[in-house]
Amino acid sequence: MIAYLTAIATLVGVRALVTLGLNVQWGMAGLVNLGAVAFFAVGAYTSALLAVGGTPLLFAWPAAVGLAAAAGAGLAMVALRLREDYLAIVTLGFGEVLRLFLLNEAWLTRGANGVTAIPRPLHAQFTGHYDVFYLVLVLATVAVVYLALERVRRSPFGRLLRAIREDEIVAAVAGKPVFRCKVQAFALGAGVAGIAGILFAHYLAYVEPNMFLPQESLFVWLALILGGSGNNRGALLGSVVLLGLLEGSRFAKDLIPFLTGVRLAAAQQILVGVVLVVLMIRRPEGLLPEKPGAS
Amino acid sequence: MTTMTRRQLLQASGTAGLVLSAPALLSAQSKEPIPIGTLCPLTGAGGSYGPDMQRSVVAVVERINNAGGINGRPLQLFHEDDQTNAEAGVRAARKLIDVNRVVAIVATWASAVTLAVKPLCVEARVFVIGVSGADSVTQGDHKGFIARTQPNTNLQGRMYGKFAASKKEWKRVAYMALQTPFAQSFGEAFTGVVKAAGATITDSLIYEDKKPSYRSEVTRVLATNPDLIMIEGYTPDSVVMAKDLYRAAYKGAVLAPSFAINAKFIEGVGAEVAEGVWNMDRAPLFDSPAFKEFSAAVPGGDQSPYAPQAWDQMTLVALALAAGKGEVSGTVIKDHLRTVSNPPGTAVYSFAEGTKLIREGKKINYEGASGSCDFDQIGDILSAPFIVQQVRKGKNERVTIVNP
Amino acid sequence: MPPIAQYVFNGVVTGGILALPAVAFSLLWRLLRFPNFAVSTYLTVGAYVALVLNHGVRASIEMAWLSALVVTGAVALGVDRIAFRPMRSRRPFSLAIASIGVAFILENVVRFVWGNDFRSYDVPVSRAMSVAGLRIGREQLLILGVAVGVMALAQAFLLRTRLGIAMRATADNALLAAAKGVPTERVIAAATLGGGALAGGAGVFLGLDASIDPLMGGGLIISVFAAAILGGIGSAPGALAGALIVGIVEEVGMLVVPPTYKTAIGFVIILAVLLVRPTGLAGART
Repeated sequence: MIAYLTAIATLVGVRALVTLGLNVQWGMAGLVNLGAVAFFAVGAYTSALLAVGGTPLLFAWPAAVGLAAAAGAGLAMVALRLREDYLAIVTLGFGEVLRLFLLNEAWLTRGANGVTAIPRPLHAQFTGHYDVFYLVLVLATVAVVYLALERVRRSPFGRLLRAIREDEIVAAVAGKPVFRCKVQAFALGAGVAGIAGILFAHYLAYVEPNMFLPQESLFVWLALILGGSGNNRGALLGSVVLLGLLEGSRFAKDLIPFLTGVRLAAAQQILVGVVLVVLMIRRPEGLLPEKPGAS
Repeated sequence: MTTMTRRQLLQASGTAGLVLSAPALLSAQSKEPIPIGTLCPLTGAGGSYGPDMQRSVVAVVERINNAGGINGRPLQLFHEDDQTNAEAGVRAARKLIDVNRVVAIVATWASAVTLAVKPLCVEARVFVIGVSGADSVTQGDHKGFIARTQPNTNLQGRMYGKFAASKKEWKRVAYMALQTPFAQSFGEAFTGVVKAAGATITDSLIYEDKKPSYRSEVTRVLATNPDLIMIEGYTPDSVVMAKDLYRAAYKGAVLAPSFAINAKFIEGVGAEVAEGVWNMDRAPLFDSPAFKEFSAAVPGGDQSPYAPQAWDQMTLVALALAAGKGEVSGTVIKDHLRTVSNPPGTAVYSFAEGTKLIREGKKINYEGASGSCDFDQIGDILSAPFIVQQVRKGKNERVTIVNP
Repeated sequence: MPPIAQYVFNGVVTGGILALPAVAFSLLWRLLRFPNFAVSTYLTVGAYVALVLNHGVRASIEMAWLSALVVTGAVALGVDRIAFRPMRSRRPFSLAIASIGVAFILENVVRFVWGNDFRSYDVPVSRAMSVAGLRIGREQLLILGVAVGVMALAQAFLLRTRLGIAMRATADNALLAAAKGVPTERVIAAATLGGGALAGGAGVFLGLDASIDPLMGGGLIISVFAAAILGGIGSAPGALAGALIVGIVEEVGMLVVPPTYKTAIGFVIILAVLLVRPTGLAGART
């Protein structure tokens, strides 16, 4: 049971990081990104390919984060000129295009086979309790990123983002570099998602394109909305709740003897859907609503 | 609760996959159930294959438990849905391994899932056996904890190529494959053999999954005038592809895997469209007692390409455990797998037959429903003959055999 | 005829199938102010309703189609009553998320009842006719004809009938329309009924063209989304044009790019178009 919980907690931590990244884009800057999974994938694949090719992790990891952030900046510069609904579909499309690229360009990405035997950091040192070590690594990263993002939120940059989110036109009229700030926020969020991708790839020691389906982006959104969008604590809580819901339904099904097979799996997913709808009706602001003003 | 009542309850719950009681509640150590996990796609892209595989495993376990289990211990099944998704598969496998403490995971399907859970299982010394086809599944250092009952992709490609090359009227051949981890390697093996025999490969195309139509893919391939089109896909996309080929008035031949061209396919496209479609697959031993027993126990199972394999996988795991003389673990399974499945030995076709001979100290060689189940050192199935069928008047008819 | 014409025609047919859910999606988005992801599962529901009738009581495919319209419309109405009505005044994203939950539920209810196996209608597949060098199928012409006909009806409804005008008024400015006495809830009910019916009918077409399984609607959601945005949200002719363009671009794109990038082409083109004309082709949304 401990090993199982350790594994789930590690995956929750990874998801929490992606959600924190999304919160920078949506919660802090008001930017709709339906392709969060793309930057997650860029981080994961870059680190995996470099590491498998022999690059020491000390260089592979920063490179992966950098590439994820750069991809975010690139997409933002092109797409941020569009209105909200359109930004949504463009970012969703970007996620899909990236996945197809990963799938088809096998000469670079190993295509549908995926990248196996990704080296794990410090595996030799911690062979006995590697899972615990990795969990600590992930949790420490989450803590560091969380604190850093809270700093950003309270910083002048964070306040500027909030102003832009509230009323972009006023901010522009006041002479603020709106566009540049938005690109920076988007790139920051993408970089954080890239960090999550790195931890994911080295944990599973295997990545393949279908791990990065568009629905994963939607799950990140769900976590954010559930926890209370607009704040970092909500992002963490939402990730815990969402994965808790998914895994909890796994155990709940063991208590339902008269359903089996497909029916059981379908019932599990219906349960998730129902909880979503009810939550949206009853408590749409999420579990931890955003506090007004800086705090 | 008397021991008898408890065992009956456990047998019943074994089929429903209930977590009735943690091992701690059972006091009779020697009657402790043996936990086995299934990790099948019940939802997601592979969703149409998982349920039948799970059913097969349940049927095998039912029979074993009704006959007294393995050395008196019943088998207890724990079912998980991998959602045809590697990460979900990892979470499910972790639960099976750490919470349910399974000694084996059987009936995995998607290569991505098997590849993702492989490292966990090897580390936890849990035996994994499935149908995943990607070459990398049996590669790497897995210490024998993985095996598969599906022939590897390269072999498959060459066998199909051999058949295609054998028909001289097929001079222009096109290859269309669904985007999967084996599309590339199958295609290379197939086209290699065909080209070496003197035919021309007119087009080679990989198509996307889950598309409502393949009209333009068909247009492109037909523009190259093939005599034969090899379609390497699964039933859902093959149905759409076949309909689109028919609508485009293609009059040439079609060759596809039998796991795609089954009764569901024929029902889906109708007898007219399915008429004449060639299909082949590693020959299940239709006449073997194992296949007969399987068909009787799993209604409709013979229409599923993977259900016979799942049946064999569970039987093999059980036989390997029986050969372990009381000790129960993934290591025992991996150590005894080839002892019970490979020649030499008396041919047996079921767990009941095999366990009887094991108790008498004899060496057995399990011949299964899906094939003779002989494994090489890395867990791949040894080469086997392939059966070629053709759909005639709405039914698949056996035409010939291709030997390696 | 050069082969490209065949690709264009193929694309037109794909577009025809996309057009119905795209119109439903687009109009509902304008009226209710949120993208309703459940629309793609209405496709699935419609396909299965027709399946039940076609297989169960041996109904002709035409009768099954009509029934699918009615039943899916009713399902959409039910969904609206239960899930969306309590949230009328909420922000769009809450509604969008709720619609994702609904999509989850509908897809899995279908899976619960019928399992994952794909099915087909009891309708024979026919060989295409050869017209001026193009391969044109009977069913495809039928689908196109119905799509265009339904489009024309929808447009006439919106422009000529009182309810249609009321719908457009509410879409433009809900508060003002309500103040002027337009029965908002009734308008929404009518639009939901109509939108559900459209999507359900499209599901039957999809089932005829390809096959029926729980995931069938979900596979189209991105193309539907793209078609609606391309055409400009709130415009039925725009959605039709958008759907045709998405369909054609995806098919013709095969000449340039490997088939495995089919979905990607659509997105790239759409991105390009939106950069040039952000409100879409017939965009009127302020």
